[in-house]
Amino acid sequence: MLEVRDLTAEFIREGEVLRVVQRIGFDIAAGEAVGFVGESGSGKSVTARAVMRLAPEGSSIRWGGRILFKGQDLLALSEREMTDVRGRRIAMVFQDPMASLNPVMTVGQQIDDMLMRHMSLSGAQARKRTVELLGLVGIRDPEHRADDYPHQFSGGMRQRVLIAIAVSCEPDLLIADEPTTALDVTVQAQILRLLMRLRRELGMALMLITHDFGVIAGMVERVYVMNNGEIVESGAIDTLFAAPKHPYTQALLAAVPRIGTRRSA
Amino acid sequence: MIRMVLVRLALTIPILLGVSIVAFGLMRMLPGDFAEAAAGTTSVSAEVLATTRAQLGLDRPLWEQYGIWLKGVLTGDLGRSFATKRPVTTELLPRLAVTAELTLMAGLIAMIIGVATGLASARLRGRTDWLVRGWNSLLLAVPNFVVATLIVLVFGLYFPMIGIFNYVPFAKDPIGNIASLLLPALSLGLTVSVTISENTRAAVLEVSSQDYVMVARAKGLLARTILGNYLVRNALTPVITVTGLQLAALLGGSILIETIFTIPGMGQYLFDSVTRRDYPVIQAIVLVSSTIVLLTNVLVDIAYARVDARVSYE
Repeated sequence: MLEVRDLTAEFIREGEVLRVVQRIGFDIAAGEAVGFVGESGSGKSVTARAVMRLAPEGSSIRWGGRILFKGQDLLALSEREMTDVRGRRIAMVFQDPMASLNPVMTVGQQIDDMLMRHMSLSGAQARKRTVELLGLVGIRDPEHRADDYPHQFSGGMRQRVLIAIAVSCEPDLLIADEPTTALDVTVQAQILRLLMRLRRELGMALMLITHDFGVIAGMVERVYVMNNGEIVESGAIDTLFAAPKHPYTQALLAAVPRIGTRRSA
Repeated sequence: MIRMVLVRLALTIPILLGVSIVAFGLMRMLPGDFAEAAAGTTSVSAEVLATTRAQLGLDRPLWEQYGIWLKGVLTGDLGRSFATKRPVTTELLPRLAVTAELTLMAGLIAMIIGVATGLASARLRGRTDWLVRGWNSLLLAVPNFVVATLIVLVFGLYFPMIGIFNYVPFAKDPIGNIASLLLPALSLGLTVSVTISENTRAAVLEVSSQDYVMVARAKGLLARTILGNYLVRNALTPVITVTGLQLAALLGGSILIETIFTIPGMGQYLFDSVTRRDYPVIQAIVLVSSTIVLLTNVLVDIAYARVDARVSYE
């Protein structure tokens, strides 16, 4: 479904060009769950945003290569055409739920506006669907909670709302960029379970970005390991865990603490 | 919310009392009084001056004079003008209406120019940002009476068909009235537009880098939805504050502008009254102006809560 070939990403600042993603290629099949692992600065977030063609505000970024989504090159689309893909076909969940919701709109309005944009629903239809979605992601009393503002929700609940926003139009691919990093450990597990369940129920493909091998274990079928803007190793998750070939992958795996083993000096 | 409004309204009473005492004191500190100003010459006999003062009650102790004035105000009577002997309320109201219209128009013009240029400068950046900021620096450096004088000069010299000094009363010709106030309102509003523009620019830049704007883009929303519901609504709070605070600047500035454009508003009335030491009129104008400024501040607080649900006054 998604075929990425020779993808490059370059930041341009005051005439200087900084290449942060170096001609990488990867595939995600329909319904498949794929992990991207690497430390911060490895280029995994920029890669995820490349698929959405989202440049950080105020920065100038140049994408290169091809991103084929169902045979269509996303990099060749106009910005206006791209807005029909974003949210509708490919959706994204971000790292910091505390900052990701608009503080002056109710939670319900922030799902409504997306449904009305992509699904051509009326206001009343959108509201009905919004309440369903909030219930789907595990928010109690969704009819009333839809009229609350983001500051009335905890971090974990806000991430649930953001997941409800992301899956509202039943996209083909859900990109989750460090979706649990900013959350408590107990909440992390709940959010990961929710993502797994929704992927199964809605038949979405999942692109899970994380720095933590512990997060993707049991979540994905395949993994790409990124370092310095390159994919250094890839493969089925079991093979990779059992026998990591690249020294960087070995180092990342060694960084995950295990119960019953003593940290080597 | 209702409680907050009531508390804020109650708090305006001691403030108004304080302002009126300060204004009362300051006026009496000015050299000369109405009796001398009305005589127009220093060679008047002391008896004549004393008679005038006795008639106006100026011979009584200061605290008694203030007490009489305050008692009148509490019963809705602002006294009579020394100069015309007519009730201050009758004289002030039509002038207040003119000034209010001028100030509102100036505020509206300042808002439109300020928000538009601030938004353009923050969103388009590059050359537009340069232009807007340069223009703002220029306006900030030049006082509004200079701007007003330049407008008078330019329109007087090159567009004489546009009457500059022809104030048209609202009752006579509403459209002509608004047209006749446009240039004065523009000269008054331009300086204030700078503050609004710079604040809008800063607020929009701040909001643009927030994660929720990125999320809005990731949702595939249209650019105009993001601009309206995500950028502008969040950037509005600081802009409302400065706009409210600028009202005092507009009221003060209108005195100069009314004098330059010969508009029969409160500003000119105040200027004449100070020259004549017409105490009741000055007291009334100070009271009315400070009431307007204080009420605007309460309105600003209400506007906050309307725009941003996180603002709670409990």
